[in-house]
Amino acid sequence: MLLGLSGLTAGAAVDHLAVGGSGRGDGGVIDGSLLTRFVEAIHHGGSDLPLVRDELTQQCGVATMVDAAAVCANFHMMTRIADGTGTPLDEFSVEASAELRRDLALDDLDTARLPG
Amino acid sequence: MTAPGYELREDLTAAHRTALSGWAGPGAWWSGRERLAIVTECRRARAAEDRPAWEAPSTVEGLVPDDHPLPAVAVDVIWRLTRHPGTLTRDWYDGVIDRGIEPLRYLELVAVVATAASVDMFARALALDPPALPDPRSGSPSAEAPAGVEVGTHWVPTVPMTGPNVLLAMSAVPNEHPIVRTLAEAQYLPPDALMNDLAWSRGTLDRMQTELIAARTSALNECFY
Repeated sequence: MLLGLSGLTAGAAVDHLAVGGSGRGDGGVIDGSLLTRFVEAIHHGGSDLPLVRDELTQQCGVATMVDAAAVCANFHMMTRIADGTGTPLDEFSVEASAELRRDLALDDLDTARLPG
Repeated sequence: MTAPGYELREDLTAAHRTALSGWAGPGAWWSGRERLAIVTECRRARAAEDRPAWEAPSTVEGLVPDDHPLPAVAVDVIWRLTRHPGTLTRDWYDGVIDRGIEPLRYLELVAVVATAASVDMFARALALDPPALPDPRSGSPSAEAPAGVEVGTHWVPTVPMTGPNVLLAMSAVPNEHPIVRTLAEAQYLPPDALMNDLAWSRGTLDRMQTELIAARTSALNECFY
């Protein structure tokens, strides 16, 4: 939801399908595909991580690469807090996230918890 | 944390030091020695070969030493939350509680596992060794629950307050708040900017890039929230 809102603020059209994988384009975000490839490489911890990290560093600079790693690391924490505690979706985001949930089939996840 | 070739922001390294120090001291429900054992077990789980989510490590012959410092149910929670967070359900949680771990003790366990995931995934991203753990600080867990704790919107007990549900999640273990908050502010953005400044940037990633990374990470972890 915050991806879409930040896009609205920036006057940019965001395509949420990019959240589903780096093969789905950049989502209307600068270097979006490269950033999602980096996130995927971190998650899987495979042999492509050094290559993607170097590519991102070359493309965007080391400070941006480090900050991208930090944001990713933060959401490895927040997801575990949300799913370890049974945190339900906030009332205020149910309607706002409806399209995103439909497009990405999020309501089918084991962790889907609507309020109430 | 040393980072050859990388210049890390001071607030970022300070946040990770806060986590390390926080793990080493007694919490409300686990001692410093136990909290560090939780982090060590997270690392063991992350390094292990992949196993089905439903296979509890304590039931696998030889996987968990008999003299392990943590109860078997805690080890099973650590592995599940570290390796398969997207498979957690209410039934799973109820089963864990039925095995005899108190809900607030469980909640502090979640906090340590979650913050450990953050610090160690950052290290992985930059090809750094996970930071060395400090010696535990002495002292007993306080065993103090904040006033007003009750089970409401979440599986776990919370203290009724306003704010996003994910921030409410840790309200019943207030000792964990400084660690989570410090990490989130250094790694993501200041809390005031979350909803109030949708163009906030450190000057590196713009907000849309930040949120795409957040959303893709959440999707990979199969996190609905």
